[in-house]
Amino acid sequence: MSYRNYVIAAYAVFAAMLLWDYLAPKLQLSQALRAIRLQYRRDAARRKPGAQA
Amino acid sequence: MNPVLRWFHQLGSPPYFDRFAARWAPWCYGLGALAMAWGVYGALFQVPADYQQGDSFRILYIHVPCAWMSMAVFALMAVYAAIALVWRIKLCEILAMACAPAGAAFTVATLATGSIWGKPMWGTWWDWDPRLTTELILLFLYLGVIGLYHAIDDRRQAARAAGLLAVVGIVLLPVIHYSVTWWNSLHQGQTISLFGESKMDPSMLPPLWWMVLGTHVWFVGSLLARARADNLRREAGKDWAAQAAGAAS
Amino acid sequence: MTPGLRASAAALLARDLRLVWRRRGDALQPALFALLVVVLFALAAGGEREALARHAAAVLWLAVLLAGLLALDSLFRGDAEDGSLEQWLLAPVPLPWLVAVRVFGHWLTTSLPLLLAVPLLGELLFLPRAQLPVLMLSLLLGTPLLGLLGAVVAALTVGMRRAGILVALLALPLYVPVLVFGAGSVAAAAQGLDAGGALLLLGAGLAAALVLAPLAAAAALRIAHN
Repeated sequence: MSYRNYVIAAYAVFAAMLLWDYLAPKLQLSQALRAIRLQYRRDAARRKPGAQA
Repeated sequence: MNPVLRWFHQLGSPPYFDRFAARWAPWCYGLGALAMAWGVYGALFQVPADYQQGDSFRILYIHVPCAWMSMAVFALMAVYAAIALVWRIKLCEILAMACAPAGAAFTVATLATGSIWGKPMWGTWWDWDPRLTTELILLFLYLGVIGLYHAIDDRRQAARAAGLLAVVGIVLLPVIHYSVTWWNSLHQGQTISLFGESKMDPSMLPPLWWMVLGTHVWFVGSLLARARADNLRREAGKDWAAQAAGAAS
Repeated sequence: MTPGLRASAAALLARDLRLVWRRRGDALQPALFALLVVVLFALAAGGEREALARHAAAVLWLAVLLAGLLALDSLFRGDAEDGSLEQWLLAPVPLPWLVAVRVFGHWLTTSLPLLLAVPLLGELLFLPRAQLPVLMLSLLLGTPLLGLLGAVVAALTVGMRRAGILVALLALPLYVPVLVFGAGSVAAAAQGLDAGGALLLLGAGLAAALVLAPLAAAAALRIAHN
């Protein structure tokens, strides 16, 4: 019986899991930073109405 | 003040932690990946095929580290949660919650690789074997913690509620394992452990240790990265966060 | 004059029982749900005597567990909505004590009717008569234990509008040992083995939960309110 496909499948699952574990926090981080930037822009516009484009 | 103690206090400051995590997460990811790469190379190409299980036993080199991580991460999460509940340290709340997704991922990987290993070996994708069943319930505990954390609006309250669940979970985990082991022996006569004791020759162990080291170091990277993101989300209104995001100077 | 433990327990219990009495129809809902589970199982499995009898004890345990899970919602919800829960936090008596009394009252009004219905439900599933005593004993020990563990889950999710599936997800890991030893004790007895071990473990779990669960639930209620 060829075990090769099973071994490949198992290692692929592991690699996929690690990839997700790497990308998900990266995505969360960029979303968080973006939200901070947008919020800052909105607050600045509120402080000086119309001064920011 | 003792420098180690001072460093701990500094770490609790959100901007300091942000810088710390930003600096060290990539290193942990990188070194973890290197260790795992070396372990995988050893597992696939250096170790000879098992005389009983053929090549499929190579799955052990990822299944076992994932299983150990799924348990270790839950224990760490419970420790952080306990500290957060008793001393109300914000950073520990963040760290506890940041453990959960990675721990759940390792648990899913354990179940999946175990299932893939079980098919050629024992002819079945699933078995209500005590270890598999306990691992499945562990996954539900992780999902419960994550679900509870996201169901409550106030982040600090959410972290403390989910942290309490984690502490309850770690206390009950041995009970759950024991109960399932007892139940299994009751219903299947003698316990046929799906992943039985295969005495491994010591020469086959080094790749396993590299994988264990690699997964642990990688996890620290994941923990720091997720904690950093959560930290920024919580401190979004602060000036230091705006500076870190490059919005203000 | 601050009320002591006995006085506060009596007052809370009397209040809870009076409230349930005013909606006494509701108290039968868990029993009705268990009946539903039993009937639907019998229909789904084909109604054949042998097959039903073999799984009767397990299905009955499951029906009781699920009915209890549904009833969990009413444990704190009423008081959370009208603000009584905040009065609990300010009460001169320990919060875990109030939780324990509440869980006891809840058990009296939801689990006890259920337990009384079990022998009849057993007849519907052709439960072997010999298994009934062990089944009843395991349920007698198990239902308060499920109620105490469920109180922790209910306290963690109190105030959430759509807690539904989350409650089931949180309760499952906690309920597994109880279900395993409860249904397992009957299975052991059916196989001719000694059910005593499993029943003693249930008893030990109940003893531990009587002390620890109210503490955990009280901690969860405090977390939810500040």
